[in-house]
Amino acid sequence: MGLKSLDKIADALQRRPAELEQLRKAGKKVVGWLAYNIPEEIIYALGLIPIRVGQGGDGRLVEVGARHISTKNCVFVRQALGQFAEKTDPYIKHLDLVAIDATCIQLYRLEELINFYFGYKTVVLGVPRNFATKEGHEYFRKEVEFFTKKLEEFAGVTLEQSKLEKAIWIYDGIRQAIKTLYRYQSLNNAPLSWREVSTVINAGYNLDRGQYLELLQELIIEAKDNLSERSGSENIEARIFLSGSLIPPGDTKLVDIIEHLGGRIIGDDLWSGLNFFLNLEIQEPTPYGVADAYLDRVPHGSLPYLDLASDGRLANLKEQLKAFNADGIIYHTLRYCDAFTFKAGETKDVLGSLPFLEIHTEYSGSDFEAIRTRVEAFIEMIKSKKEIAELV
Amino acid sequence: MAASARFSYPEEIKDKFIATPGLKFKSGNTVSSAEIWEFMTKEAPRRFPYAFDAGTNHIGRFSADVHFLSGIKRAYLDLTAKDRLLKEHAAGTPTVLVQGGQAMDAYYAAGAIPLRPGLIMRWAGNMDEGLSLRQSETRGLNILESGRRKISIDACNQIAAHAAIDNKVVPVDLIAPYLCLRCSDMAFLVETHRNKAHNIPSYLVDHPVDNENKPWAAEYIATELRELIAKIALLSGKTITDEVIFDEIKLENRGRRIALEIFEQWWAADIPPTNSTDLFGIAHLGQDFVGDSVASVDLLEQGKREILERIKNKVKGTGVPDHAKRLFICGSCVGPNAYHAQSAGAIFVGRDDNYSSLSVLIEETGDPYLNIAKSILAYPYEQRTEKRGKWTADLVKRSRADGVIFMYQWGCNYQSGVARMISDIVKQKTGVPTTFVEVGELGRSEATEQSTNRVEAFIEMV
Repeated sequence: MGLKSLDKIADALQRRPAELEQLRKAGKKVVGWLAYNIPEEIIYALGLIPIRVGQGGDGRLVEVGARHISTKNCVFVRQALGQFAEKTDPYIKHLDLVAIDATCIQLYRLEELINFYFGYKTVVLGVPRNFATKEGHEYFRKEVEFFTKKLEEFAGVTLEQSKLEKAIWIYDGIRQAIKTLYRYQSLNNAPLSWREVSTVINAGYNLDRGQYLELLQELIIEAKDNLSERSGSENIEARIFLSGSLIPPGDTKLVDIIEHLGGRIIGDDLWSGLNFFLNLEIQEPTPYGVADAYLDRVPHGSLPYLDLASDGRLANLKEQLKAFNADGIIYHTLRYCDAFTFKAGETKDVLGSLPFLEIHTEYSGSDFEAIRTRVEAFIEMIKSKKEIAELV
Repeated sequence: MAASARFSYPEEIKDKFIATPGLKFKSGNTVSSAEIWEFMTKEAPRRFPYAFDAGTNHIGRFSADVHFLSGIKRAYLDLTAKDRLLKEHAAGTPTVLVQGGQAMDAYYAAGAIPLRPGLIMRWAGNMDEGLSLRQSETRGLNILESGRRKISIDACNQIAAHAAIDNKVVPVDLIAPYLCLRCSDMAFLVETHRNKAHNIPSYLVDHPVDNENKPWAAEYIATELRELIAKIALLSGKTITDEVIFDEIKLENRGRRIALEIFEQWWAADIPPTNSTDLFGIAHLGQDFVGDSVASVDLLEQGKREILERIKNKVKGTGVPDHAKRLFICGSCVGPNAYHAQSAGAIFVGRDDNYSSLSVLIEETGDPYLNIAKSILAYPYEQRTEKRGKWTADLVKRSRADGVIFMYQWGCNYQSGVARMISDIVKQKTGVPTTFVEVGELGRSEATEQSTNRVEAFIEMV
């Protein structure tokens, strides 16, 4: 039996495009954003409506985007460009401004292209590659301050401390709620699946953040109440952890294959997944305080870091693998997503004996069978290993 | 690949050549033209036979214009790089992997030899001597593929430079490039060294995007430049004062000014005074392609004199076709084969990436770190694409180009991402035809048909 709160979230999402239309008629402005380090709190506090943009899994839109960029750019960027080009997406068509942070430079290129070819009004937030240094922090503080001023001009209002505090409270609540849901979905008697939590995260791209927090809190209560209603699986499970390039809404190829073959996804460190909600604690309700918190969160793979031993991304990965009791890791990389692809071998080395499978793919279906075969063997291998361990 | 004809310098130019000045080097050493002649006609053909392969597919082939004597010296600097680098390194001069298309002033000032990926790849190739062109390219491919096997098939060819360091083919003491918008792979390839057996230190100088009217961007880079120079100084043992840095800036500014003047004079000339190989070979020394800033500036001065003399006497460069179509080349790290283009009736008149870093002089007073930082941010090539496109269109007009070819290398996510936009802007602003071509064979002589066909078809259309 499905959780009713999930249906409520789905219903709210269905109503959202019409709501946005009404809100815009009433004078509200919609800010679409892409990447990892846009401080949504500031957008929200200024009375603007934040929408997180970017979907995957649609080969046709990839082709539309590729008319203006090249096949040497990752499919996520190409599809996003296709969406901006067509302007038929129910959210894209309502955007008054597009904000992109330069964590991934391919997304920065996307910003230039949608501005030049399709006339979108855009704003860029610079992100330091040397994010862990004092000078990197100084730079990012100034960037967030500048970004805030640009948004203030766009919104026609000044950022108020009380509104920023409220926004920080809401977003902190969302982050806590998602972490709780991740914990629930990973339990043996989980009342919901990783896929369902992922769908909930994706709904949060578009819903009003205050309403979203309320819905999440309802879901948590319901999920908690249902923890005992589903018994833990008696079969031997392959608990799969996903890592690597993002898996945005719409890109279900790998998830479908894993689940179809009996694997159970129990966690991830994707920037489209759990990582986005981790370790982000704003100590001071100011643009500088917001900047510091964003830079100190789990780093994005697009930001190079030269010391392996102290790499926060890898430390987080190890921590999550342990917390979610993963049996194996599927490291998913999109072609021409160098940030994650170049790290595949290293990640495998760092994780040592944990079963590791790299899947290098695009959104086309041409490699479906090849991936299926590899994932099937991987899941069988994990299950056999566990069966033998039980027998011994 | 069938054996190609051998290239050699004819004896009849010897006397004229050895009457010209020799070359000065940063170490204080000099070499006479007689010694250069000896090397280029006896020692080099024996040690580096691949370089004397005269096949038209050999993209690194020497200029056929043997009467342009600076061209011979330019080839000498290429072929002696291995010996010079090994000697300097043995004497304690640190070698540093850097990014191409950037001013090298800070590295030289700190007492290091900066080596762009292309120079490291050539150095690594020359570590094995006596190779034919095919053997040399196979050696290069083996190094490259060893890197791709460890990291990714998606990596561009510069992975060969990282593999050459990793495999200890060449001794490099520091991996410390400036980042930029030209290259998508450098940052991530530098990061891969943290998981290698070697313990070569690494550092990145950031390149903040969208930095116009943001003084904090230059301040950020200046702070990192201080750290970079301090790191190099530790290796070189040099004491680095502002004066030391300004001395290097003044030297390299001189080179940049000469290079710009060469381009201006060459573009204005009724008859192209050199072929494309010699134009780029000499003028791009303003960016140092040979691991020695003193030698680069010295040869720039000599080359400029020769070019001006030719313009005055209305001498056409050997190989330049009659009524040649003038092509401007865009994109990083790769360009079309000049010999193929000449055969098809065209000549190259400029390249945006090289011209970009030549075009920004560094201020010679004040805070040298901040000055270098500002210059890095001022490169037209590294601006927002729309601005870069307009700048490129202006260059196309100034160079009187008839067409524009934007080339990018397999695996280059950033240049591929803007190729169409730049081409569209240039076409819109200038009216000249443009095309963009992806190539995968960077510098190789085999399997070049696809890019050759596209370039030649474009030239025919122009």
